[in-house]
Amino acid sequence: MKEAKAPSPSLTRQYSIETDRVSKDFIEFLKTYHKAGHDVYKQCKVFLETIHHKKESNIDELSEFTQDFYQNTADKLQMYWKVPPNKVEEAMDQIEKFIMTRLYKHVFCPETTDDEKKDLTVQKRIRALHWVTPQMLCVPVNEDIPEVSDMVVKAITDIIEMDSKRIPRDKLACITGCSKQIFNAIRITKNEPASADDFLPTLIYIVLKANPPRLQSNIQYITRFCNPSRLMTGEDGYYFTNLCCAIAFIEKLDAQSLNLSEEEFSRYMSGQASPKKQDTDIWDADTCPGVKQMHRNLDLLSQLSERQERIVTGAKKLEKDLIDWTEEVTREVQDIVEKYPLHIKANSQALASIDSENVEDDRLPPPLQPQVYAG
Amino acid sequence: MAAGGGGGAGGSSSSKTYSFKVVLLGEGCVGKTSLVLRYCENKFNDKHITTLQASFLTKKLNIGGKRVNLAIWDTAGQERFHALGPIYYRDSNGAILVYDITDEDSFQKVKNWVKELRKMLGNEICLCIVGNKVDLEKERHVSVQEAEAYAESVGAKHYHTSAKQNKGIEELFLDLCKRMIETAQVDERAKGNGPSQSGGARRGVQIVDDEPQAQSAGGCCSG
Repeated sequence: MKEAKAPSPSLTRQYSIETDRVSKDFIEFLKTYHKAGHDVYKQCKVFLETIHHKKESNIDELSEFTQDFYQNTADKLQMYWKVPPNKVEEAMDQIEKFIMTRLYKHVFCPETTDDEKKDLTVQKRIRALHWVTPQMLCVPVNEDIPEVSDMVVKAITDIIEMDSKRIPRDKLACITGCSKQIFNAIRITKNEPASADDFLPTLIYIVLKANPPRLQSNIQYITRFCNPSRLMTGEDGYYFTNLCCAIAFIEKLDAQSLNLSEEEFSRYMSGQASPKKQDTDIWDADTCPGVKQMHRNLDLLSQLSERQERIVTGAKKLEKDLIDWTEEVTREVQDIVEKYPLHIKANSQALASIDSENVEDDRLPPPLQPQVYAG
Repeated sequence: MAAGGGGGAGGSSSSKTYSFKVVLLGEGCVGKTSLVLRYCENKFNDKHITTLQASFLTKKLNIGGKRVNLAIWDTAGQERFHALGPIYYRDSNGAILVYDITDEDSFQKVKNWVKELRKMLGNEICLCIVGNKVDLEKERHVSVQEAEAYAESVGAKHYHTSAKQNKGIEELFLDLCKRMIETAQVDERAKGNGPSQSGGARRGVQIVDDEPQAQSAGGCCSG
């Protein structure tokens, strides 16, 4: 079995403290079952020991082995120790908690599988689908109602939190919590109990908005190591199944499943167009402020570039106009010059400036001579 | 639990409890939701419906001394989700296929579901074909004879219901439960005896009772 993926020392310490606490609680709990409890504890120890020796087995064998252990333990409690059904269920929950707290780091997203690769594929896929709107999925939830919008946020938080839990049942509880928020949101919007027709599209929408970490790993882990009686028939099992459906839908989603044309779909997928631009108001209610700002900036930028283009076109027109104008003026001037050629008439000389050389000086009387007067 | 097994917990054979999973299939407006709400809550289009959701409902029954825990799984009926069907109906003991007697198309959809279920689950699953909205008898577009003949030809039972008038619903579920118990019993007999064997697929694991190192301190995998 591989080493844990080198978590921080403090995290490891925290985990081992938790593991110890779980062990103590488990022993305390089993005391109420007397002899049967003692037997269960022994079986669990043997099971963990055996799993430890099976390190090299592949994950399916480990899963099978664990499921057999659940089945046999439950049967023995019921048949041999005559424990009543509800107490068996309670014990099975505690057994799952005890063994899975210890096995988690070895069997969650093991390197021998392609779980991690699948996680990344789903994550990328959801990122690529960021443009899907609630309208396209026909989500019966009105996020303009503040209460509903709060519930949507809580549902997203719950589904993201699933990754932080170690016990399959706790992970299931996160999915159930998320589903309950969704039901509340639908109930308030539609004022009637939610049917599967309402629930599934909303869950898909929540998963798309949350993009929960290590989604496939978590699904696989629950499938392999959860107590089967809880998973197959119970309420938690129903929500889990719906989550599996949501993921399957997202993986296969195409133009048809959103009632879009192939052309629209590929334009949105390639990022050439975004339906959100027109629907900004609908998304505003709960989109994170950064994204909102980004959308506003994008809008501004596109407006700016439009205006700039207009300016460039205007400038070009102005330049052309100027050239045209000069040419026209030149042409007009030439026309006028041709029409009215410049004839300089001789008499115009009369108007000669006073500062010019005096050509006809001789015609003027002689200048006044100073005269001497006696006196 | 193994498919069709359903023989859940139960100490002695007399107090045996069966757990059954039943899927609800049908187009959007055929009244699936009203049907289960009527059955589990005895309400129809009621402003006082307290249940938060009608997607997953349970009902406890006692049929001839046999306890039954019924889990009813609603499925999304929109065409775009059709491909997800197998994820929903996996391991179910029964299926209720609902159509609207005034809507020929919805009956066609039921036929498609039947074909698919039989192909995927064989005869392990008990099928009920339900013509809902018999209160709208005047606008009927699916003939009784045709529907009943079809159901018989595919080994399903046919029922007429009205969620509005609360007709035929109790009978439908009771009948279905009886049939599922029969199937489970046949299954049990084939596999051996009692619910201890109902795990079926699971092989026995060797549990060594008195291994000394079982007491060694600390878990092998403790972190």
